[in-house]
Amino acid sequence: MSRPDQVEEISRETLRAWRSGSVDAFERIVKLTMRRTYSIALALVGDPDDARDLSQDAYIAAHRARRRFDAEKPFFPWFYRILKNKCLNFIKRRKRIKSAEIPLELIEDWDDECSPDRQLARRDKVMAVRKAISSLSPEHREVILLHTFEELSYAEISRFLGIPAGTVMSRLFYARKALMGALGALDERNGKREGNKA
Amino acid sequence: MKCSWMEIDCMKYIDGEMNERDRADFEMHLEGCAKCREILQDFQELKSLTGRIKMRDPTDEFWDGYWRSLYRRIERKTGWLFIVLGAAMLVTYGAYRAVQSFGTITFEKVAIAVFLIGVVILLISVIRERIHQHKTDPYKKVKR
Repeated sequence: MSRPDQVEEISRETLRAWRSGSVDAFERIVKLTMRRTYSIALALVGDPDDARDLSQDAYIAAHRARRRFDAEKPFFPWFYRILKNKCLNFIKRRKRIKSAEIPLELIEDWDDECSPDRQLARRDKVMAVRKAISSLSPEHREVILLHTFEELSYAEISRFLGIPAGTVMSRLFYARKALMGALGALDERNGKREGNKA
Repeated sequence: MKCSWMEIDCMKYIDGEMNERDRADFEMHLEGCAKCREILQDFQELKSLTGRIKMRDPTDEFWDGYWRSLYRRIERKTGWLFIVLGAAMLVTYGAYRAVQSFGTITFEKVAIAVFLIGVVILLISVIRERIHQHKTDPYKKVKR
């Protein structure tokens, strides 16, 4: 997963060269940003193949519109709007999200001494978060993704989305609340299921 | 500090985006407010859980091929653009020549007729497919 500083590594010279039509500069930009681009698309649409196609569509659209880009400003917030529009239009056309396929995993080390019960509990936890994230609205999923998985600060998210930092905090609060609600509902359902089995 | 500010302050607090003075005020409020302490604990637990989960990174082969496949797509799109432009220019030229030789069957007229028949067949096929898709789409009544 890429970190914010990796995205800001794109030099002004590279951006200016790309704007003038340099394919080498475009390749450098793509290689510096592709991981972040792909993970954002994946979190929004939920399917790895669609995420690859849509992230590439966004690069193609950005390349075509490069003359409208101000090379003195950062690339990613400008590009992010193109990417987001591509993904949201796709979701609108498809009218559903294959969010259950978002590939998530625990960062914790899977040590050899880990008991099967613990492994199962970890897997359940990941599944529950995956389901809960998939149940969020695209607006909420977006802030969770940018803050939790992309580790952006409020100021960076505010710049990305073109909204005040206060709105970022408020959206994050409601997104987390919705996530807690979804996780709670899943726990409740699992609890009932366990109860029925007993 | 009021409980009604909790939603913003709580986020700033757990994400380390609060300055020291606000942090001290917030902690003082927490000491006397059990409700806010409980809310904060729930959010901290959630953050701890989501913080231990990340998206699985695709394989190195995927990233090695990413730029190549993107470049191929750009090349193909450019190729198609030139083909369509060239075809449009040829059809325009052929139409111009056909008008000039009105009343006789010429090679240009036959070529244009064949091209236009092909375009009409493709158009009808696409329209038929879209109508069929619209009639059979199981998700058309699903709203986002």
